[in-house]
Amino acid sequence: MGNVAMAEGAMAAGLQFFAGYPITPSTEVLELLSHRLPETGGTFIQMEDEIASINAMIGASLAGAKVMTATSGPGTALMAETISMAACLEIPFVICDVQRNGPGTGFVTAPHHNDIMQCKYSGNGEYEVIAFAPMSCQELFDLTIEAFNMAEKFRCPTFILSDAYLGHLHEQVRIPPAKELEARVVERLPPDRETKRFFTFRDDAGAIHIPPPPRVGQDPFPAYLFSQPHGADGIPVEKDRALEFIERICHKVTDNVDSIAMTDEYLVDDADIIIIAYGLPARVSYDVVNKARSTGIAIGLIRLVTVWPFPYEKLKQLIAGKRVLILPEMNQGMIAGEIERVMDELSRIERIPSIGDIHHPDSIMKVVKEVARKS
Amino acid sequence: MTPKPEFYPNEQPEHPLTLKSMMGAKEGNFGSLFCAGCGYGIIGQLFTKVFDKEALDPLAYPLVLGIGCYTQMVTILHHGIQKIVALHGRAPAIATGLKLANPSLKPIVMTGDGDCLGIGTNHFVHLCRRNLDCLVILFNNGIYGMTGGQVAPTTPKGYKTGTTMGPAFENTIDGVQLALAAGASHVARITIAHPRTFMKYLKTGLKHEGTSVIEVITPCVTYFGKKNVDNGGNSLASGGAMLQWIRHSTTWRNQAALLDDDELAGKYVIGEFKLDGGKLEYSEQYDQIRKRAMKSGDDGTV
Repeated sequence: MGNVAMAEGAMAAGLQFFAGYPITPSTEVLELLSHRLPETGGTFIQMEDEIASINAMIGASLAGAKVMTATSGPGTALMAETISMAACLEIPFVICDVQRNGPGTGFVTAPHHNDIMQCKYSGNGEYEVIAFAPMSCQELFDLTIEAFNMAEKFRCPTFILSDAYLGHLHEQVRIPPAKELEARVVERLPPDRETKRFFTFRDDAGAIHIPPPPRVGQDPFPAYLFSQPHGADGIPVEKDRALEFIERICHKVTDNVDSIAMTDEYLVDDADIIIIAYGLPARVSYDVVNKARSTGIAIGLIRLVTVWPFPYEKLKQLIAGKRVLILPEMNQGMIAGEIERVMDELSRIERIPSIGDIHHPDSIMKVVKEVARKS
Repeated sequence: MTPKPEFYPNEQPEHPLTLKSMMGAKEGNFGSLFCAGCGYGIIGQLFTKVFDKEALDPLAYPLVLGIGCYTQMVTILHHGIQKIVALHGRAPAIATGLKLANPSLKPIVMTGDGDCLGIGTNHFVHLCRRNLDCLVILFNNGIYGMTGGQVAPTTPKGYKTGTTMGPAFENTIDGVQLALAAGASHVARITIAHPRTFMKYLKTGLKHEGTSVIEVITPCVTYFGKKNVDNGGNSLASGGAMLQWIRHSTTWRNQAALLDDDELAGKYVIGEFKLDGGKLEYSEQYDQIRKRAMKSGDDGTV
């Protein structure tokens, strides 16, 4: 099951602490980890709500543990305030958002990729996040490990955007041998004793450095931790340096977009029609591209493996001169808006929204054929 | 960058504990950031005094503060303690994470009446329910001081605030009764007019294994005192008048047993309400579960 693969991926990445609150369709993650964590010496706690979950989680992260929580859209909304605080204090953590239909309570067991914007923009202030959009159980396992690594390296809110169907999808997963897994995991480093720098800073040459986070119960520690614009030593700075601070916590991600953002380009070079997709619709789209190619349509696929940070420059180059961009999304077109920012005047976008259900390959194929006929 | 303020080189701190405080240890001297007549300076000083006297390891007692005027207390608290300022009301949840990830720690939560009994009641209740090894110091000044004197869930009936049309009329919440009902194993209430007893409770709380809740009644002269008068019509606009008012509004627990409900209306009952050293603490309980799970060798695959 997708949720199980995600939980096992987290265990493989060295998860030590999980705090959560039951919410359909993510509950299996909690149920499994409540057993798996104590067996390996970790800690599982079911908190009183999602707000408490994320706060307990960042408390544990400050104490040096690798942490995660699993929730759905409404839970992520409750967590927004603390996501923003943790982004300010650069606390590493992973949130698994098993997305369900909305707004409001919605259809709780139906998928809807409606947290694409929420995961980045829900909290107050300006900050960057990293978000993965897996499309299979194997990827839920592999990308969860990658998400933990990114959280440790870049110390920003890190999301895994699963959904109600993917979370409950049953398929085979290959779990590599322990040695191979160990080599893939990035460990938490102790705070820097010599420089006493705890937060992202720029060196004299202007390069960004991300030191390991401070750890409660160990020296050195900042004079106090307060989620205000602060310097590398953690001491809050004056208003006139707030912009510099915001730039630091944003640029540590956006400057490294090439090493964080993952895309898969499939038959893109000679295509004049491009499908751009992420998550489950991408899986459908590979099939659509193969079928369309067999009928002689010059079509390709750009799959976004990570949604945030958005690889604007890379996509700009990839879609330059392409005639039609087809966006099958399980929402009204959230990423289509981002594509509009980088596409040239000659291209046009065809949105294929699907809410509450995954796209049937035929529904995408129909659009592909129509578009191809018009050329 | 703003220039660092220059201190008088020959000036000696007025108070011997100044150098133990965070800013005092850093700068050689430091004053209080609080309004005249505020109780937080006294609480910060008493806390630092007890912590210093008991010679506790500061690294084992991380401090999690909520949001309120008392957040400024970080500057005057013991310099060795690691201080984390949580979001409004969320301090108990952060303390839960700290304690469970590293059971050798004993978090101290400093929270206010708006923080703990308003926005964060849920977290406070569940912290007490779990009996997590943690000391909660709850400051009750009956008003939202930092935002300028709005009505709090603890504002006594009949007193004026910034957001009530006329005097406050809502029923108040009792932090001590709430903690008792939720299952905290050490519960006490005291006022800053009783500093020695406060220090005694603080020592007990620091050594107690389990949730310890100490509510401290403290005055807010600027936003409560200046707007209100006592029952006799006397102004409360000074620290001294507020301290008198607090003294007159309190009854010791043993005396309260003899009074009926009408006589107790509007009174703060002070004293130690519960001290149960035998109640199992959460992280210890979880440790037993963890040991059992690790022994069973069940890999838990579904």
